[in-house]
This record gives sequence, structure tokens and C-alpha cells, in this order.
Amino acid sequence: MKFVKFIISLLAAAGLTYALNRPLGAVPALGRLFSPFEGFWQNGESKLDLPPTDLQLDGVQDEVNVVFDDNRVPHVFAKNDHDVYFTQGYLMARDRLWQMEFYTLAASGRLAEVVGERALELDRYSRRMGMADAAKKVYENGKTNKIFDEVLNAYAAGVNAYIKQLKYKNLPVEYKIIGYQPEEWSPYKTILMMMNMRNVLNGGSDDFRMSNALSKYGMEVVKDLFPNYPSNESPIIPTGTKWNFTPVPVPAVPAQTTATLSTSKTVAFDVPQHSPEIGSNNWAVGGEKSATGLPILANDPHLQLTLPSIWYQMQLCTPTMNVYGACLPGAPGVVIGFNKDVAWGVTNVGSDVMDFYQIKFKDNTKKEYWYNGAWKHTTMRIEEFVVKGRPESLKDTVYSTHHGPIVYNAASDKNFNQNVPVGHAMRWVAHEKEGTDLMAFYYLNRAKNYDDYRKALTYYVAPAQNFVFASNQNDISITPNGKLPLKWKEQGKFIMDGSNPAHDWQGWIPVDQNPTVKNPPRGFVSSANQFSADPTYPYYLGWRFAPSERAIRINERLERMQKATIDSLRMLQNDNFNVEARRILPVLMKILNADSSENKNPAYQTLAKWNMKNDANEVGATIFERWIKELRYTVFDDEFPMKDLKAPMTYPSRNRMWDMVVKEPTAKWFDNVSTKNKQETLQDVVKLSFKASIDSLTQKLGPMNPETWAWNKVKSTDINHLGRLPGFGRQDIPNGGGAGIVNATTELNGPSWRMVVQLDKGWPKAYGLYPGGQSGNPASPFYDNMIDKWAKGELNELLFMKSKDEKSNRISGTVKISKK
Amino acid sequence: MNYIIILIVSAVAQYFLPWWVIAPIAFAIGAWKSETAFGAYAAAAGAIATLWVGYATFLNSNNDGIIVQKIGGLFSENIKFLKNLPVVPTFFTIMAIIGSQVAGLSATAGYHFRQLFK
Repeated sequence: MKFVKFIISLLAAAGLTYALNRPLGAVPALGRLFSPFEGFWQNGESKLDLPPTDLQLDGVQDEVNVVFDDNRVPHVFAKNDHDVYFTQGYLMARDRLWQMEFYTLAASGRLAEVVGERALELDRYSRRMGMADAAKKVYENGKTNKIFDEVLNAYAAGVNAYIKQLKYKNLPVEYKIIGYQPEEWSPYKTILMMMNMRNVLNGGSDDFRMSNALSKYGMEVVKDLFPNYPSNESPIIPTGTKWNFTPVPVPAVPAQTTATLSTSKTVAFDVPQHSPEIGSNNWAVGGEKSATGLPILANDPHLQLTLPSIWYQMQLCTPTMNVYGACLPGAPGVVIGFNKDVAWGVTNVGSDVMDFYQIKFKDNTKKEYWYNGAWKHTTMRIEEFVVKGRPESLKDTVYSTHHGPIVYNAASDKNFNQNVPVGHAMRWVAHEKEGTDLMAFYYLNRAKNYDDYRKALTYYVAPAQNFVFASNQNDISITPNGKLPLKWKEQGKFIMDGSNPAHDWQGWIPVDQNPTVKNPPRGFVSSANQFSADPTYPYYLGWRFAPSERAIRINERLERMQKATIDSLRMLQNDNFNVEARRILPVLMKILNADSSENKNPAYQTLAKWNMKNDANEVGATIFERWIKELRYTVFDDEFPMKDLKAPMTYPSRNRMWDMVVKEPTAKWFDNVSTKNKQETLQDVVKLSFKASIDSLTQKLGPMNPETWAWNKVKSTDINHLGRLPGFGRQDIPNGGGAGIVNATTELNGPSWRMVVQLDKGWPKAYGLYPGGQSGNPASPFYDNMIDKWAKGELNELLFMKSKDEKSNRISGTVKISKK
Repeated sequence: MNYIIILIVSAVAQYFLPWWVIAPIAFAIGAWKSETAFGAYAAAAGAIATLWVGYATFLNSNNDGIIVQKIGGLFSENIKFLKNLPVVPTFFTIMAIIGSQVAGLSATAGYHFRQLFK
């Protein structure tokens, strides 16, 4: 009996302890997680959670001093390059380790290892895209550059110095909740991090959608509705700028410019479309337009906003460099910032750098494909997937042609991206193994003048960016820059023929012939992801860039601006004026007004009184945005269905639609082809869509009311946690803006960093902030402390220190790092 | 007395060793000194509940309660009934139950182990 009691009580105790010490499905090990000695309680940070004032680390070569300011921004003062990047790695890991590693797991298609089955299809897609493979090649190729190799290794050593001393209790809380451990960092992982950026900014394609439109409506219609240059553009390089180079010959346009679509297999895949709100703004005004007589530069890159924040602020100082700005967790150096003499910023170039080729295989083994009149061998790679919760790993075979990887062999409902073509190869600039992008930032961080800027740009490959620049020698410049394929006109607008050598990418635009302008007569430079240059530029870059409304607004305001100050540029970053409404609302209202019953409608009245600003409290913005979305859907979804599973297409641009409304009011596209015996007119669709908008808004929000219908309530900006952990993000942030607005804050996207720098002969003055905080720890007071200020459109003054001994009442702590 | 011993020993031990070290400690003390099964259970459960709640209270006040709010938000998105409960007391209670049951059951097992040799 005694024995039975013992056994029962022992089993109960041991069983409970064991059960609480191991994860169960998605539930983490609860004993460990709740223990105050190890679990989540340990992640609670106090207000001043800084490293010890005297920190000894294996790996530094000399003494390093780090000064933390009141926003917890580290200012690193090192005696050499190695130590500055080592310390950068260490500090970023301390604040952002989980985030850094998460990006690399996503880019290399390994998320299922930590989160299980639900990430598997996304992983398969990432592996097929071949980002991990490309990252390896980029590093192998790049390390022949000694500086590149040293910087990446010093950074990795710093990250690893932090990881090595980590115990479970100090792990970022996400590791505890999801239940895994950080791996060692390496230069390859930094490149993966950059691959992630290439994917976010260059990973979209409209090719198959355009091919579907072409095969249904023919070339005449496609040329008319999907033109290669919009009617309302205000290009980055001002019209009239001379091209100071002799162009290299452009490949001739082949007789057949697209693949002949096989009728048996429909082209259905879902490579993401270009997302216009993943755009950005930057500009610089020259001395003649500024109050100080020297340039002021502004930049706000728009991305899908997440917590932990996309950016991390740092000052990095060595005897040969003193730079401040926004850094990407996982990568050394400053990406957007300034030093004593210059400032620079970036926005995305929307050129077409991802193309698809239809591949004809010899047979189902996919070992050979037809190219240039002969059978050519594919290469084969086996991808292995470890999936959390599955006893055995899964395998997937990826075939590659000389164009690039076949993204999907066979259509399957489980394909993450439903739009990948059967037997289609992807040619993508992100696969280029020249990847010394970080060297461009290395040299920009040290740049003293315009020539240094131009030299730095030659190292940059992808994703192509509009590099804006200003110096205290009173130079301003902007250069859409990166490795850009030398294409024949419209090459890659549609799916191409993988067997035709004339359809290959045949070279690159010489880097010194990328569009650029220095000190233009108008006294400012700017970009908002619109077309890089007008059609006088001798090379074809692509047919679809971001809509031009933001650019138009920025340029008209800068044009008028005199005696500009930091504050006038800050206000421009927060401009909520709706250029599209100015253009089209009067036209649409006139159509509505033709029916006198409409103008009694309170929604109509509100729109009529609207100031055309997407301010937070405007109801007019709510109605207008909803209405034009509805209108575009009503006009085009019957003919160009976006979500059609068999043959998805894309709508003609909004600019093209407004041209049609104004100049071709009888166009056949206004008719809804799915209503059989009825011929809809422009008037009909305008009224129908207006009514539908009001009905759906009323259904969702109740009767019209300035509180519930306010634009910020309807738009409701959310900043979610990167790993989608509920409760770790911030929802319903009150602010104005919108997709075509300079203040490009939408439901999920927005300015991920806002910066304004006033150059000076002595010492620059700079302001900036991002929607989040320096710490990646959800329990830190510095996790999201800048969000409220960001939502209001305010900026923080940035503390740019001259030396480690500089006195400031904003310094909250110092750390001395020395050799162990 | 057992209560104090378990509290002190496991406070020191957990500083260096994994959380489940409370189980062998409670087992050992339960085997060594307990008079009754319930006495063993109560002393160990009470000691760990006190220790965990006390230490977590200290950590929580240093952090102005941010972490428990975030974890509370996370759990209540997945386990709906938690939404209707106040986060702080709920999470302190869950924690206290986990710690006290592991320690209490282990001490009981220790007591019964000792009985084998009596």
C-alpha cells in the first residue's frame, strides 16, 4: 500500500513537472514561461535598462564608448572600423535579436521550423524564389572585396558575442512564447536580411495578369488601357533635363514580343502586384530655396509597418567617420542618414525587374527544355523542409533554367501564391550575385561631397532606389540607381517566350547612365516612386510605376516654397491634400448633380463641402476614398477581374480611368458586361457606385455621423507585431493620410521613418522618428514610445554628437566596452 | 520550518538552475522532514507560491506591469474566456497554481518515499 501511494504521488508530481516543461502544440512550456526566475516576467524592462557601465567583451580590439540618449539611441564611439561594426552588431542584437532572425528565417524559407505547418506554403514559395541560394552566392562573390568581408564579419562577431552570453531567462520573449532558440549569426544572414528587402520592394510582377488581358482583348486594347507612360506624370528627373551621355545600343524589339499562351493551361499565379503604397517620399531643397542658404533634405520611406520597428537609430563614430541615421536590424552601417557634410535618403524605384518566361519541357522529368532550337538541361535542387510538429522533413524539387527558377511545377490549391505559372521561369534581379549594396552605404556614411556620393552609388545593385542627396557645399542631387536590365521597349510587360534568345535579358544599363540630376534650375529634387524619367530617356525601365499624385503634390508645393525651414518640410511630409479629388471630384459631382434628387443626400452635401484633405476627422475623405474604389471596381471588374482564379487580370490605372471619364464618356468599358439586356453608361456607374459606397458604409458604421464616419476611424492604421502575436501590436492609431497622399499612411502601410536634415557649414541640425521605439522588447517602455508623436506628425530632434565627451542633458547613460 | 527551508533553498537554486529544480527540492525536503502528507504538500506549495508571487510582484512593479499586460493580451486572443477576467490577478493566480502544484505534489511524493523505509 505504501508503495502504491508512493508510485501514484511520484507519477503525479513527475508527470505534472514534465508536462509543464514541454510545449504542447502551439502552447509553449508553461512552467518555464510562468516561472518568475526564467519566464516572461524576466522580460519586463525598467525605464533605464542599459548594459552595465563597464562591459567586457571578447572580440573588441580597443576601447569603445557608447552613450545612450533619452530616446535610448546608442551613440557609438570606436577607434576603428572593426570595433564600430562589432558594437553595432552587439547593440542591435541586444535590442532586436528576435526580429533580425525572423527576417532571415522568412527569406530563407525556414519559418515552418519554428511556427509549424501554417508557414509551410510561404516557405515553399520563398525557397522556390531562391533567396537563400542567392544570398549564399552574393556573399561568396562579395567577400573578395576585403572591406565588405571585414565589415560583415565584425558585425556578425558582435551579434554572436551577444548571443553567446544569452541564457533562457534573457531571451527575447517571442522565443519563449514560440519556443525556440536563436542560432549563430553570420555574414550570410545579413545578406538574407537584404534579400528580404529585395523581395519586399522588387518582388512583384504584373506579367501574367497582363498576358491574360492581352490574350482576351488583343494588343490594341492593351496599348490603350495600359499605356507605357501616364498622361499626368511629374517624373523624378525634371522634364527637359539633358542626358549627358552617349547611350549604348538597345536590343532590337523582336518580331514576337510575348509567349504564345498555351490554351490548355491557364496562367494563374499570385506573385504580389506592385503595391503603390509601399512607396516613399524624399526630396531636397537647394540653398536658394532655404532660409539658411544651405540645402535641407527630407525622406520618409513607406513600408508595411510592424513592431518591433523596421528601423533602428544609431550614431556611429570612428576617427574617419561620424554618421547618424536609420539602420536596418541585421545589417551594418546606416541606410538613411547624414554626417557633418552630407545627407541622403532613399525611395523605391518601381522599374520592372522581375520577369516570367514560359518554358517548354521535353517531358515530365523536366530535365530538358527547349531553347534556341535545341534541348537544354535544367539544373535541379532539392529543398528540405523541417516542420515543427512533423516527425519527418519534407522535400521539394526545384528546377532551374538559365533564366532562373521554375516557381511552380504544377498548379495546386495549396500554393501560397496562387498566381505562379505552370512551367514558368522567373528572371529576377534579386538573383544577381553582385550584391555589394552595403558598400554603397559604407561609402555614403563617409561621404564628404557630391563626388563621394556618385562613387558610392556605383556599388549598389538592388532593390533599385532613388538616392536623394544634399551637401553643405550647396549641392543637391537625385539618382534612380541600381542594376537595371537593358531591355527592348515593353520587354517583360507580358510573359515572354523562354525558348527565344531575343527574349533574354541581354545586358545592363551602364550605371553612370542611370537617370540623374544635379542642382536643377527649379531648385529642388524629389521622388515619390513615380516614373524615373520622361520618355526622352533612352532606355525602357518599365510601364507601371506608382501613381503620380504624391509626386505632383510634392513638386507643386516645393515649387512654391521659399525660405524653407525644417518645419516647412516636416509639414509637407504630413500634407494630407488629395490631388485625385481635386482632379476628379468636381467631374463626378457634376454627374451626380444632374439628378436633382441626389443633391439632397447628406453624403452628397458632405462631399460638396469637403476641403479635399484626408485629415483624420474628415468624413468627406471617407466617402470619396470608398467611392472611387467602388467606381473602379464597378467599371473594370467585369472585364478585368483581379481575383479570377483562372485568368486574373489587373485594372487599368486610376489615371487612365479618369482620362476615360473626362475624354471618353461613352467608352464601352462603362457598361457592365454581366448585366445582359442593359447598357450601363458613365452616369449609371457613377450613381451606382456612389449609392453602393454609402450603403456599405452605412451598413458597417451606422447612419452618417461625424464621429463614426471620420476618416481615421475608417482607415484605422494598425501596426501589427512582425510575428502576428496578438496584443504585441498597436491598433487604431488616429491619423490622416492615404495611399495617394503625401502622408501615405494607410491601414497597414505608412512612413516607417521620417527624417529632415538641415545642412550646415558647421554642424547639421536633424529631426526624425519612426512609428515604434528602439527596443524590440514588447515589455520595454521604448517599444512603441514614438508612435503617438508620429501619429501627430511631430518629429524628435536628433542628438548628433561631436565627440563622446560632449555634454548634453539628454544623455541617460554611458557604457565602456573593453577587451575581455 | 519546511516552508522557510524550501523557500530559501529554491530561491537560490532557481537563480542558477532551471525552474523545475523546485520539484527535486520539494521532494527532498518532503522526504527529509515532513510529518504528514498534507503537511509536506502545504509547506512546499505555500513556499513556492509565496516565492513566485513575491518575486513576480517585484519584477512587475519594476516594469510598471507592461509585460503582464502584453502576455495577457496574447493569451486572451487565443483563450477567449480570459478576456472577461482582470489580467493581473489572473496571471498571478495561474503562476501560483503552476508553481505550487509542482512543488506540493513533489513534496507529497517525497513524504511517501520516506514512508517506504519506515
